[in-house]
Amino acid sequence: MRQVESLLLCCVPRAACRVPGKEPNPAPVRARVPSPFSRITHHAPRIFRSPARGTRHAARNALFVLCALLAPALAAEEEAHPRLVSKAFRAAAAKVLPSLVTIESYGGVLAPPPPPKAKGGPMPRRRMAPVSKPGEGPTTGVVISPDGFIVTSTFNFLRQPPVITVVLRDGSRHVAKLCGRDETRGLCVLKIEGVKDLPVPAVAPRGGLKVGQWVVSMGVGYGGDAPALSAGIVSALERFSGKAIQTDANLSPANYGGPLVDVEGRVVGIAVPLAPGGGAAGEGVQWYDSGIGFAVPLSDAEPVLARLKKGDVLRPGKLGIMPQPGAAPGGGVTVQDVQKGSPAQKAGIQAKDIVLAIGDKAVRDLLALRSLLGRHVAGDTVSVKFKRDKEEKTVSVTLDAGEEQFPQPTPLIPDHHPPAPKQP
Amino acid sequence: MSHWNSPNLGRMMATVAVVIGGTGVPPVAHGQDARATRELKPAGEATGTLAFRDAMDYAQKRCVRLYGGGAGREHGYATGLLVSPDGLILTAQGIYLGSDSLRAVLPDGRRFEAKEVRRSEKLQAALLQVEAKTPLYFNLADEARVEQGDWVFAVSNTFNVAAANEPLSVCLGVVSLRAEMEARHRKQDVPYEGEMLLVDAITSNPGSPGGAVCTLDGKLVGMIGKLFQSVNTRTRINYAVPADMLRRFVEGKDDKEETPPPVEPAEPPPGQGAYVGIRLFKLSGEKAPAFVDAVAPGSPAQAAGIRKDDLLLTIGQEVVRNCRECDEALARLRPGQEVKVMLKRGMTIQSLMLTPAAQSEKPK
Repeated sequence: MRQVESLLLCCVPRAACRVPGKEPNPAPVRARVPSPFSRITHHAPRIFRSPARGTRHAARNALFVLCALLAPALAAEEEAHPRLVSKAFRAAAAKVLPSLVTIESYGGVLAPPPPPKAKGGPMPRRRMAPVSKPGEGPTTGVVISPDGFIVTSTFNFLRQPPVITVVLRDGSRHVAKLCGRDETRGLCVLKIEGVKDLPVPAVAPRGGLKVGQWVVSMGVGYGGDAPALSAGIVSALERFSGKAIQTDANLSPANYGGPLVDVEGRVVGIAVPLAPGGGAAGEGVQWYDSGIGFAVPLSDAEPVLARLKKGDVLRPGKLGIMPQPGAAPGGGVTVQDVQKGSPAQKAGIQAKDIVLAIGDKAVRDLLALRSLLGRHVAGDTVSVKFKRDKEEKTVSVTLDAGEEQFPQPTPLIPDHHPPAPKQP
Repeated sequence: MSHWNSPNLGRMMATVAVVIGGTGVPPVAHGQDARATRELKPAGEATGTLAFRDAMDYAQKRCVRLYGGGAGREHGYATGLLVSPDGLILTAQGIYLGSDSLRAVLPDGRRFEAKEVRRSEKLQAALLQVEAKTPLYFNLADEARVEQGDWVFAVSNTFNVAAANEPLSVCLGVVSLRAEMEARHRKQDVPYEGEMLLVDAITSNPGSPGGAVCTLDGKLVGMIGKLFQSVNTRTRINYAVPADMLRRFVEGKDDKEETPPPVEPAEPPPGQGAYVGIRLFKLSGEKAPAFVDAVAPGSPAQAAGIRKDDLLLTIGQEVVRNCRECDEALARLRPGQEVKVMLKRGMTIQSLMLTPAAQSEKPK
């Protein structure tokens, strides 16, 4: 057990890892569990072959091959025994288990019908990812406050169930109210009433995360009382404009909404399906169990969670410009056209202007612009610096959700009752 | 733990690479003598040490590739496990078993015609026989114990990528959960009964069924089963049929002996069901939540305290997500048998005890 403890202290300085009562090792045991990986795994995300099953093999194979190449160099370090690693996984999972909840949904239909075609307009896009239907089973959530706020993934409510209940680890069932949702992160918050002193898990500070560190994911989606556990490493720290981290632990509908936990039993993030295309509900689920999974870190999501608790719906923030692809000469993005009534137009941005910076971050090209805007949601005010005829100007723009706004599905009202008409 | 001889993870991972990558693997020895010299003993026996690579090597030498006929999206190849010295092979059920010529390619490259001995519907497994002596086999009596989070590796003919005498593919993962779960194959419910050992190594690929899932000391913990989808998640599940269940099947304990005869049929015959006395609100279809539209006066439902506009959440142990599931659960009730019913009334959840009456007591 002592070994496990030292293993759990993986983030503390070497000296602290020494086993008390023993002579300090000349070469102290480096109980940093993932160290054979941590230096090399930044290669893993590049292995983005087909977003299909088996990608994970590719990633792992590549990892192992790299390990093989680096093995002589690494042999000097003493690593944690695989069985200790397993023990650490169990210990970490056990720490978060009391905060894990089972979410059940009742009723609900799958995809909302596509919005009607506007006169003369293009055929509206169906806001449903091309995935098989979500399952019918329970889903996973994590308690984030002692008084009954629970965070989970929006994926779990694709069917828009009118009634949601939450089963706590003590087996008690509660009616849950769906508060706000963040469509850019795929997170939403539930609230249950009449509870107090619920166990809230520790949260791992984002700054301490390292590529290559072990993580464990948990979820109750397969059914049954105990959660299924899957293990992996952190693959990347910045994905989707920094909103998510990437892991190679198996993430799937079995654990979306569930926690990704570090070996110390702290919640690193909440597992969500995300995809670079973004937007459509449930997009990203096609990568389930592929070795490419995403989690939204909780440590810096506090302001977001506060808004979700209030019931806000956060949507991607749009400027409302049509940019020219690539970069303008000398950096920046040339505005080809400005949408009528858009935030950009209201702020006085015109065609042929060159956007130079968002906030204090320089915009090198279109990709940078997308990434910088991706950090904001509709309603956020950002300062935009642009150049017009050699003159530089800075304006303040309040982003909106853009004109691509579809009629939103009816809000999920938990105490919704069937409509009035009587059965004959 | 002592027999582990403090291997380090980095090195172990490196050896995995060697095995998977196929580089540096000594060519598979041919012929009995050569193989005998390379045979490894399972952990705990004479040598007392068995490195990771050795464990994989040990497992790879006990897996065979199976080839039959495929059809459409069903692949005609799979994996099998040698489980006796006289050529018994365990595998998962699949279309390849129905083929006229089912061939087994042993780890040393020898090919044999395989005959089916028997099948287990419960495990969706099959036992085959080849006319060959196979001194290297998994001893099913040697039970391995695993816990959630323990490392396991899977050896299988996944995607049929291992050609000729190349060793089969190895994939690493941890034990996720051992549990019973509802599964489907394509759109059909699966007759699989009993627990599954879920792993987070990807085993739900064509060709993988019948492969070995082993602990780091080479002990068999299960056989990769037929490809199924979880009903709950609608995703393919990576699982193994636990070794203890396989052992009972190979030992010839009949499926029927194993399952006690059902005391009662799942659903009472028509006309003998229970009378509860509620009508559900079904105007928006069978998939609507099970709201109570009306409660018959004097009915068991009324006696239990169920009211109009309540939403039924659970009946007995079962969660009823919609009207259809609720109807099914109500149809399984028996007169006189008290069940716990959980329902939502406003924003509170109530727990009631319901004692259904016989259909004959239903007021005309």
